[in-house]
Parts: sequence; C-alpha cells; structure tokens
Amino acid sequence: MSAEQGVEAVDLQAGYGRIEVLRGISVAAAPGEVVAVVGANGAGKSTLLRALSGLIAPTAGRVRLGGADVTGRGPEAIAAAGLAHVPENRLVFPTLTVDDNLTLGAWTRRRDKAGLRERRERVLEYFPRLADRLAQAAGTLSGGEQQMLSIGRGLMARPSVLVLDEPSLGLAPRVVREIFATLGRLRTEEGLAIVLVEQNVRAAFKVADRATVLDRGRVLLEGVPKDLLGDDRVQQAYLGGGYAVS
Amino acid sequence: MSDFLQFVVAGLSAGAVYALVAMGFVAIFSVSGVINLAQGEFAAIAGLSALSFTDAGVPLPVAMLLALLVVAVVAVLMQRLAIAPVRRMTTLVSIILTLGVSTALKALLLLIYGPQGRGLAPLPGSDLVIGGVSVRAQELWILGITAVVAVAVAVFYDRTVLGKALRACAEQPVAARLVGISPKAAATVAFAVAGLLGAVAGVLASPIQLTQWDSGLLLGLKGFVAATLGGLVSIRGAVLGGLVLGVLESLTAGYVDSGYRDAVAFVLLIVVLVARPGGVFGRHAEARV
Repeated sequence: MSAEQGVEAVDLQAGYGRIEVLRGISVAAAPGEVVAVVGANGAGKSTLLRALSGLIAPTAGRVRLGGADVTGRGPEAIAAAGLAHVPENRLVFPTLTVDDNLTLGAWTRRRDKAGLRERRERVLEYFPRLADRLAQAAGTLSGGEQQMLSIGRGLMARPSVLVLDEPSLGLAPRVVREIFATLGRLRTEEGLAIVLVEQNVRAAFKVADRATVLDRGRVLLEGVPKDLLGDDRVQQAYLGGGYAVS
Repeated sequence: MSDFLQFVVAGLSAGAVYALVAMGFVAIFSVSGVINLAQGEFAAIAGLSALSFTDAGVPLPVAMLLALLVVAVVAVLMQRLAIAPVRRMTTLVSIILTLGVSTALKALLLLIYGPQGRGLAPLPGSDLVIGGVSVRAQELWILGITAVVAVAVAVFYDRTVLGKALRACAEQPVAARLVGISPKAAATVAFAVAGLLGAVAGVLASPIQLTQWDSGLLLGLKGFVAATLGGLVSIRGAVLGGLVLGVLESLTAGYVDSGYRDAVAFVLLIVVLVARPGGVFGRHAEARV
C-alpha cells in the first residue's frame, strides 16, 4: 500500500475557481501496480489526474512522486520528475508525424540521444502498429492508434508513474483489450506505477490490482476489483446496464 | 507588357518585406495566440539602429547583423515584461497590450531619432535591365534574402526538434505541457524568431522606403493583412500573402492611381475576413506553422 517510489495523493483537494471538485482524496499506486479509479461523470476522476500532473494546483493536501513532495509544481516539472499523464482524448500533435510525437515525448530527456533511440525501439515493441506509421501525420491515425501513440509518447520520457485518462474512450472492444493488455505488460516489465481512470469499469477491473471508486469528489470504496465487483453499490451504479463484457 | 512586368517586380520586392513581417505575426500567434501589433516596430527599430551603427563607422553587413541582435533582445524583453506577466491572455487582451507597447516604442524612437526619415545604404551590386524591366540591386537582395529566410524558417519548423516543439505548443498546448515543454519558454523563442524576422524586413526595406520612428505602423498593418491571408497560422500562407499583397498594391498604384496603394491592403483584409476568415491559402487545420 505504501507508495514510497510510486505516486501518492494525500487528502487532495482541488477544483476550478470556486468550484470544488476534489474534496479530500487519498489514492496511491506503488511500482508494479495498476490502480483503477472509477466513478460517475463529475466524480472528479479527470480532475484527480490533472492535480497529480500539475495541470491544476491543489488547494489542499499533498502529491508525492517517487518519495518527493511535488505539490503545487507545474506540469513541466512533474513530467521531468517522472510522471507521464496520458490525457483524455489522446491529444496527439496532429500535423507532426508519429515519429516526431514520440521524439517530443522525450522532451525532458532530449539531450540523451542514445537513450532516445533505445526508448523508441522499446515503445515500438509495445505498440508494433505504430512502427508502420512512423512517417504519417498523427492526426491521420485511427482512434486506437492515436491512443497507442499518446501512451507511447508518455513512455518516451522513461516515467516511473503513468496516469491515463479514459484510454478506452470511443474505441472498439478488441482495441481496448489490446491496449489494456499492454498496460499489464508495462506494469510487470517496466515496473511502472499506473493510475487508470476509466468509465469502462469491467475492462479496467480486469487489469487493475486495486481499485478506487470516487463519488462526488470523495473516495466511496476501495479494494480489490474482485470484491468491488460483488459490491451492490458498484453493481448498481456502474455495471447495472447493458455493458458489453469485454 | 513591360509596364506590367515592371509593376510585378516592384510588387514582389515590396511584398517580400510584407512576407517577412507576416511570418513574424505567424510565429507569435501560432504559439501563444498573441497578435503582436508591435511587429512593425521591430522593423523600424532594426532600420534605425542599423543606421546608428553605420554612423558609428561599423561596416554595413555587421551593422545589419547587430541590428538583428538588438531587435531580438527587444522582442524577448517585450515578451518577458509585457506578455508573460499577464495571467489570462486572450487574443483581444493581446491586441490592446501590444498596441500599447507599439505606441510606447514609437514614442521612444521619436525621442531618440527625431522625426526625419533616413535610408540605410543599399547593399552592393549594380542595377539590371532585363527585357526592358529594370531591377534594382537592392530589390534582388530583398528577394534573395527573403527566399533564404523563408526556407530557413520552414526548415526550422519542419526539421528541428525545437521548431517541432513550438508547433506542438501551437497545436496541443495541454499535451505540450504534459511532455514538459514550457509554454513560457516557447513564447520567448517565438518572440525572438518574430523579432529577427521583423528586423530582417526593417534593414532590407530601409534603403528603398526610408526608416523613421513611425514607419513600423504601415508596415506592421500590411504584414498583418498578409498573415491574415494565410489564416495567421501558416508560414507558407504568410509568404504567399505578402507577395500577393505587394503585387496587388503595385498594380493598383501603376494602373489606377498611386494614391490607392495603401487602401489595397485594407480592402483585401475586409474581403478576406468576410469571405474566408480561415485564410485564403490552404486549409486552416493543416496549415498551422
């Protein structure tokens, strides 16, 4: 449970202007661990990731990364400290090529040319589909490929922590399985600490070691996915409808 | 026919200067959403400071390079002192802010240099007459140097990691921050690039159009119109826009009345903003830098 080397939010509060979205959330992911964060729209999932990566400044609480306190630092500093945030809607650089997107992913380590090449090889091993598209403009990729590129871009900086905002959004179940399987590999082979925000609860729970359910800015439940799946509240709230089991 | 060609040649060299200024607008706007109305002042400062250097006995090419350096420093200082401290920059705020900077710079130039206009000595070379069309050596220099600069700018954005990082900031500012590219640093680089471009325009145009404290006003506005023709985010569009504007002005002055020369730019601006606000050349989304 301790996240000495991973990422840890302690009693985190944050919001936009006067609107308070996170009302004291504690979440942690240790190296080699996938933690799923689920919850309804507006529960604060994306805001949690934005506060972790420094896109918004927390109003209270702490963020620790690799044991160091990074609370209130900007996204550039937090990226350099080893956290890669794969944003909602992928946000690839559309007119730049796939290769350039990857190169810019390593911006914080751009002086290490040898490391860059090696890292690129590794990313293309995880996402072989990108290897055929290196010279193509990122905006012309399919949604699934853009998601792979967005994750690959994040990996280029050799992060110790990977946080992902709804990587399954708008993707076919087969592609979701492929991407989530790769997340599982990244956990075991790279020892990454992964925080996975998802609406697709079933897919997320399959890969996750632990899960946190958010509700209106607070932690509602925490535990092992298997137990949470049996919880009535989770069943009703997130799995009750006609979700396709992927 | 030779009249026509003569007007086109004169128009192209004037247009090349607009193109340089226009590229400066694009460099800044695409990265930071700022419309820099002091872009023309960069040219005026370059012309006047190059004159000061030659007055002090510095050889012309060295004086021109020093002027570029002066303007790059001015541009970076402007970004640091006037643009960066603004918490929530919008395009409208930027227009008001840079108009203020532009006015302050003009006042400063008037204080230092006085109201009279002067021209820098032209670059060496003899004027040519080809097929009844006379071309001044300075016009050839303008066209040649603009071509080299435009290619260099295109290579910078298309081939270098720094140029690509600036494009990344322009296209997806949030994602750019997440990979660690600082938008403030990017804006500083963009202002330096824009300063250099404006300064090249200033030192090249000075022998033909003379430089005075307020010569940045019209040059800046015409550069803005040229950039708008390209949708404000495309380097290629800005170059094309500058050349088209220069030739149209020259033809209007030649065939209609030279008094209408300066009206061309603004009529064109209105037409473009009404008909094709995304720019005339190229598709908006694809044209970024």
